[in-house]
Amino acid sequence: MREIVTVQVGSFANFIGSHFWNFQDEMLGLAADPYGDPVFKIQSLNMDVIYRTGETHQGTTSYTPRLLSIDFQGSLGSVSSKGTLYSEGSNEPSEVVTWAGHVSTHASELQNKNLFLQSLYQEEQDVALTNGNNGEAKDSQHEIQDTDIVRCLDEGVQFWTDFSKVHYHPQSLYEVNGLWMDVKQFDNYGIGRDVFMENLRGEEICDKLRFFVEECDHIQGFQFIVDDSGGFSPLAADFLESVSDEYTNTPVLLYAVRGPSSHMSLSSRKQTVVRDLHDAVSFSRLSSFCKMIVPVGLPSLSRSKTSTFLNIKDENPYHCSAVYAAALHSTSLPFRMEPLGPTADLSDVFGAVDVNGFVQMLAGQSRQNMVAILDVAMPSPCLSGKQDKQSLLRNLQPLTPEVAEDVDDLQAVESMIMHGAIGSVQEVIAYQFLKLRMQSMVHMNVQPQGQCSAIYQQLVALSQFLCHSLQSLVILSASMVSCWEAQS
Amino acid sequence: MSLRVLNPNAEVLNKSAALHMNINAAKGLQDVLKTNLGPKGTIKMLVGGAGDIKLTKDGNTLLKEMQIQNPTAIMIARTAVAQDDISGDGTTSTVLFIGELMKQSERYIDEGMHPRVLVDGFEIAKRATLQFLEKFKTPVVMGSEPDKEILKMVARTTLRTKLYEGLADQLTDIVVNAVLCVQKPDEPIDLFMVEIMHMRHKFDVDTRLVEGLVLDHGSRHPDMKRRAENCYILTCNVSLEYEKSEINAGFFYSNAEQREAMVAAERRSVDERVKKIIELKNKVCAGNDSNFVVINQKGIDPPSLHLLQQAGIVALRRAKRRNMERLVLACGGEAVNSVDDLTPDCLGWAGLVYEHVLGEDKYTFVENVRHPHSCTILIKGPNDHTIAQIKDAVRDGLRAVKNTIEDEAVILGAGAFEVAARQHLINEVKKTVQGRAQLGVEAFADALLVVPKTLAENSGLDTQDVIIGLTGEHDRGNIVGLNQQTGEPMDPQMEGIFDNYSVKRQIINSGPVIASQLLLVDEVIRAGRNMRKPT
Repeated sequence: MREIVTVQVGSFANFIGSHFWNFQDEMLGLAADPYGDPVFKIQSLNMDVIYRTGETHQGTTSYTPRLLSIDFQGSLGSVSSKGTLYSEGSNEPSEVVTWAGHVSTHASELQNKNLFLQSLYQEEQDVALTNGNNGEAKDSQHEIQDTDIVRCLDEGVQFWTDFSKVHYHPQSLYEVNGLWMDVKQFDNYGIGRDVFMENLRGEEICDKLRFFVEECDHIQGFQFIVDDSGGFSPLAADFLESVSDEYTNTPVLLYAVRGPSSHMSLSSRKQTVVRDLHDAVSFSRLSSFCKMIVPVGLPSLSRSKTSTFLNIKDENPYHCSAVYAAALHSTSLPFRMEPLGPTADLSDVFGAVDVNGFVQMLAGQSRQNMVAILDVAMPSPCLSGKQDKQSLLRNLQPLTPEVAEDVDDLQAVESMIMHGAIGSVQEVIAYQFLKLRMQSMVHMNVQPQGQCSAIYQQLVALSQFLCHSLQSLVILSASMVSCWEAQS
Repeated sequence: MSLRVLNPNAEVLNKSAALHMNINAAKGLQDVLKTNLGPKGTIKMLVGGAGDIKLTKDGNTLLKEMQIQNPTAIMIARTAVAQDDISGDGTTSTVLFIGELMKQSERYIDEGMHPRVLVDGFEIAKRATLQFLEKFKTPVVMGSEPDKEILKMVARTTLRTKLYEGLADQLTDIVVNAVLCVQKPDEPIDLFMVEIMHMRHKFDVDTRLVEGLVLDHGSRHPDMKRRAENCYILTCNVSLEYEKSEINAGFFYSNAEQREAMVAAERRSVDERVKKIIELKNKVCAGNDSNFVVINQKGIDPPSLHLLQQAGIVALRRAKRRNMERLVLACGGEAVNSVDDLTPDCLGWAGLVYEHVLGEDKYTFVENVRHPHSCTILIKGPNDHTIAQIKDAVRDGLRAVKNTIEDEAVILGAGAFEVAARQHLINEVKKTVQGRAQLGVEAFADALLVVPKTLAENSGLDTQDVIIGLTGEHDRGNIVGLNQQTGEPMDPQMEGIFDNYSVKRQIINSGPVIASQLLLVDEVIRAGRNMRKPT
């Protein structure tokens, strides 16, 4: 079984991760729902790649993400650092068995669950009581609350746990304490340089990672999402160094993400210099420890093509991270698909590739091509009918900042993942598309030539055959990852 | 002034305001940590925003849990935490000492004395105190036959400040034995060779010393033995899982046989490594009833696990790097990096290897080893905060014992040293100092008394009476400390209360340095980057 361990480092990375795991949770729920749309019952998508089964102390089975999340102390908001499933006995805090003398209690302000989390908790209690057959009355009660929940999430999200539906394992959550500085001060490479090495933090973090890696039968790779806007970069870099030391042959796929706040206009020249310095040092260090690095994070999503159909508020990390999370979810789909044997039917899901294969295809043998651009078209344009063949390419929006658009790329290697195309066979199809080392590329205004055109036409033909209309799904996106030869 | 031109939002504090800001910060931090000191102190229960609980009596842990914003306080906190890194204890005392130095200085400065003169006095007093410390210490015999009684008393003193008496006494033997186990002649003691492992257990609060190892994972094959006696241990760092080559190659096959051949070829290199291990096992276990255990730092994939299981071998994968070192120290043998030169000499031995399962957690015990130079302290507790607290206490105890062995000396505790040093400074040193620096020496001496004063306060006693009593006894030539039950002076040697020499030394060294720097601050300027934004 080819497992993946996900690591999220930093606040924005955790926001993205929170959406990501919410999507997975949604998919698991839809797949398990007996009355659900059969479109979601995808046999060949193996969630065990990114999830792990476990057992709580009371003996109940748990299914939690194979995740390690690193963030500031206090960033978990209303969720305990022991997670939500494994905490028991916390109702008797007054038990102090180890001290006979005085006890003084210092309680910090209790973080109350917001409306969303409360409603989830309520649902869990209800399900436990009524076994899921909700009556009409309950529905209307929830109706009223839904608008409130949406508003509370839209405006009031402070922590990434505020909108998380997922139960995490206690070993997944790590808070960095003893920093003695504000979140705002932790904003450049120099500040975080010693954080990993100090106070045995590195050992604790590596131990938590080891817990997840040890149970993997055959780990296919690490998926790192690192918040590259500040002090978490050096922490991640040091962590990656020790990971590459201990798990030498396991590939690391790194998404270096930037939140909207890090792109705020810099008022002084000195600040610009500091920021550029941070970018340079961080990029060079992070990229030296991974097989492929994908910078993600536009300065403004609301001014990009994605805003054609999505209403995104740039200053709200809860909004922006959702788009990036959808793209990440798509790119990770091939890793979770079961590889088909030679006698498999083409109408089944195909395109499985593991992290190593993916990275090798895109980055090639040499390490020159290890930086990749992530594009997304959300939602994907309709592929059937006599549509303009270029509409797909035209709709793709790069999520990697500082990328020149509409530029000829003669030596691009691209991987395209499209999902949500439903055929008359009623199966969800996700297939990967490779154009290896083409001499001429698909240009915006030029007829596709050569090898790529044949494949592209095949794609269109296939989609015409399979789908007469694209039914809308919760997630409908196509992402294309391409990389270019590094400029010398 | 020029700074205001550059940044109109800059705040500047002038001399006396700066001084008072620093003194207040030091006092504030002192007040937070004051109640921590000594066996009669208060334990702090910190409840987080989500209901997480942390229990701590350790100054170091408390400082790290706090959100400190004031730059002076951060400076003092850093010093204190460094204290913990260097000597393993004395964080609370450092913060108290610095705070008290500042407090005492405030008195004199308010009367018009210049801080520079005070600081000079501190310097003199510091040197004199360090010299006094050399004479005051009680040398202890270490070396090949360490004085176990003294070590036990030092450990007990430290543990009793962190846990209640019964539990502290229970742990004393464990801690001393653990350190003696890992001690190697002529080498500094590496406390990492003592592993501290924990297990949750609903009712039990029990701790024991395992002369051997407890690993936090188990074998991953359902049919491997859960209990094996008389085992050879192979400690290795060999990858036993199939790794795809770096080169991008495709395989094409047209029938089942070709596919079988392809699969076999892919697995060949790993299978050969596994076979070599099995060969070694067959060699050493032939004809006797020994078992074979493989503990690998790298991974083992399911087909390899299966092969090993069929050969009757117990195998663990992805062991911690430290555990590899510890295994070799505990069981003997050597850590092997390749299977090419396997000989029976690289094997270790353990009398018993068994697995214990708690829910989804598996523990592997490697016990009954012949010459243990590494051991494990296994802590059991009902919940995480209890376990964390015992762990902290055990770590401090280990550190205290290690310091004693390396210092080859102890210091009489319960405030005895502080009172004695103070009397020495007042009665003898002050007279030799010319001019106003005398007052600096006096301030230093009075600051030293913060330790017995706080101990008295925490016991609910009257500090004045206590100090008068103690200083009186010292003047009469008796070295006494404070009995926290009765409030009367007592002999620390009789009660077995000892402190570490290196801890005291470090406190006296670092405290005045920080205090002097803070006292000499003329101006505090707050003009950071964040302040440039127009308000």
